[in-house]
Amino acid sequence: MTSLVLTVRETLRYRGAIGQWSWVLHRLTGVGVVLFLALHVIDTSWAVFYPDLYVKAIAAYQSPIFTLGEFGLVFAVVYHAFNGIRIVIFDYKPELWRHQAQAAVVVLALTLLVLAPVFLGMASHVIDFYVTEQAIAGSKIMDVVVFSIIEQLPFIAGFVGVLAAAIVLAALFSLVRGDASQRGKYPQASPVERFWWGFMRLSGILILPLVFGHLALMHVVQGVFDITAAQEVAGTLATNGTIGVVPSAVEFVFHRWSYAAGGVFVWRVYDLFLLVLVTLHGFNGLRYVLTDYTSFNDFARRTSVALCTVTAAVLLAVGAAALFVPLEKDIINEAMAATAEIYELRGEEVPEELKAFLSEDL
Amino acid sequence: MDVTFKIRRQNPELPGKEKPYWQEFVLQDVDPTDRVLEMLHRIKWEQDGSLSLRRSCAHGICGSDAMRINGVNRLACKILVRDLGERIQVEPILGMPVIKDLIVDMEPFFDHYRQVMPFFVNDDPLPADGRERLQTQADRELFDDSTKCILCACCTTSCPSFWANGHYVGPAAIVQAHRFIFDTRDQAGKERLDILSEPNGVWRCRTIFNCTPACPREIEVTKAIGEVKLAIRKGKTVGIVQPNVAH
Repeated sequence: MTSLVLTVRETLRYRGAIGQWSWVLHRLTGVGVVLFLALHVIDTSWAVFYPDLYVKAIAAYQSPIFTLGEFGLVFAVVYHAFNGIRIVIFDYKPELWRHQAQAAVVVLALTLLVLAPVFLGMASHVIDFYVTEQAIAGSKIMDVVVFSIIEQLPFIAGFVGVLAAAIVLAALFSLVRGDASQRGKYPQASPVERFWWGFMRLSGILILPLVFGHLALMHVVQGVFDITAAQEVAGTLATNGTIGVVPSAVEFVFHRWSYAAGGVFVWRVYDLFLLVLVTLHGFNGLRYVLTDYTSFNDFARRTSVALCTVTAAVLLAVGAAALFVPLEKDIINEAMAATAEIYELRGEEVPEELKAFLSEDL
Repeated sequence: MDVTFKIRRQNPELPGKEKPYWQEFVLQDVDPTDRVLEMLHRIKWEQDGSLSLRRSCAHGICGSDAMRINGVNRLACKILVRDLGERIQVEPILGMPVIKDLIVDMEPFFDHYRQVMPFFVNDDPLPADGRERLQTQADRELFDDSTKCILCACCTTSCPSFWANGHYVGPAAIVQAHRFIFDTRDQAGKERLDILSEPNGVWRCRTIFNCTPACPREIEVTKAIGEVKLAIRKGKTVGIVQPNVAH
């Protein structure tokens, strides 16, 4: 721990040039995005596996706290992307290094330039929601958030499980391999690290169009509030609310993943590429960050590596499972009870047709 | 002019002073063109003889007086008061154990240095005249910059990756390896690249660029590290080093 405290304190005290602050921001935005990614992959998979939980998760995302978080997330992704390009350029063209400080300024300027219209677009969704929808009292909004989070508490057990698995794996590895510091004085070449260095740069570039497309579609063209609105689902020809009695977040996902062009489920393929590349890039990045600060202790370092590996494996498995499952319309009906609950929590009238549907169902 | 020096001190052998603390000294009649090293001498000679620092040649060649001065790693013998102002903060370089005041234990640094085989390797018989192994000017130019290193540790101890992880081989050792890896007469390039491609080798560099401005010899440190990375990636040393693209 002293190492982490010392490093953070001295990074703030050392008067490095702009490159140092670019690096700090690159790390912070990277860690922020990867934490969100873990949450996002798990809860999106619920649309298929636990439709009622998905409805509640989206309801929580439609609260002001998460709206702020959404703006932060978009900033983080855009900055990380642009600064990533800068890093790739100077890694492959070291002779350009005299321009790196300039490039760091350009990255910041480009980030702001891109974010200005993006934030305006995002803000218009927020304003639309609060103006056209019934105004929701602040305390009610918190009710929705607290309710949704309590419903999802059991899944924290999953994260504890992953951590436990990481510790066990690290312990096993230590038993088999022994203390790394006791091995030969001259270190061994690592084709693994050489591979990941190249992969981080290649995947970073490949992700760019995918992530920007995803952000444009889910945060600018349509926002998180439109997921439950009776309107066409962007990127498909279907309209939310045409299968269920009222529009729902689950139906939104259903339309997206059911949309096929030329016999190909376009968005499932898109999301699969996004899932694999972002998860590998994100968790290898997290491994870099964690092992930097745990290198003083062999066991802590191994636990960090195992934690990143196990989490990435779980997310890939869960995310891919959700993408490969054939979708049944049943999941939309399963979401209706939860949709009614959200109406009630918000103090809104539950639509008559939803009431009728639910009583029929009973 | 009057200049206030704020110095980070520590004396593990003296009860009450084992932990780092700041102490201020005010110097009068300071000339703007005085060097920080001379002022540290004045403090030691005129005010507090217990102030400890390391210096040898005092002319920017031996590299023994690297310190963090006003937040940036520099050689105390090369930086002038006029470039710093009337308040000057001096502390030991970061990332290695402090022995006393401004003196740190350089052994971990030299340990990394020795790891990269910082010596010329060529087992071929000497040329017929028994004298030099000749090299073209263009070939010599490839590693000219990395021959300038004086092992002061300014770069390595300005690196956030090194602060976080003392096992990281660090910029200085990579520059030293660069000097031999790109020397066309040397024959141990592959061994050095193997050593530097281990997990705590070049891959710990995050291209932060703190090392380059820290170098008192103006070595293009980050560029050198980048070239070593590319040599490992491409598995060759020919055609990697490119001339600088000017501003």
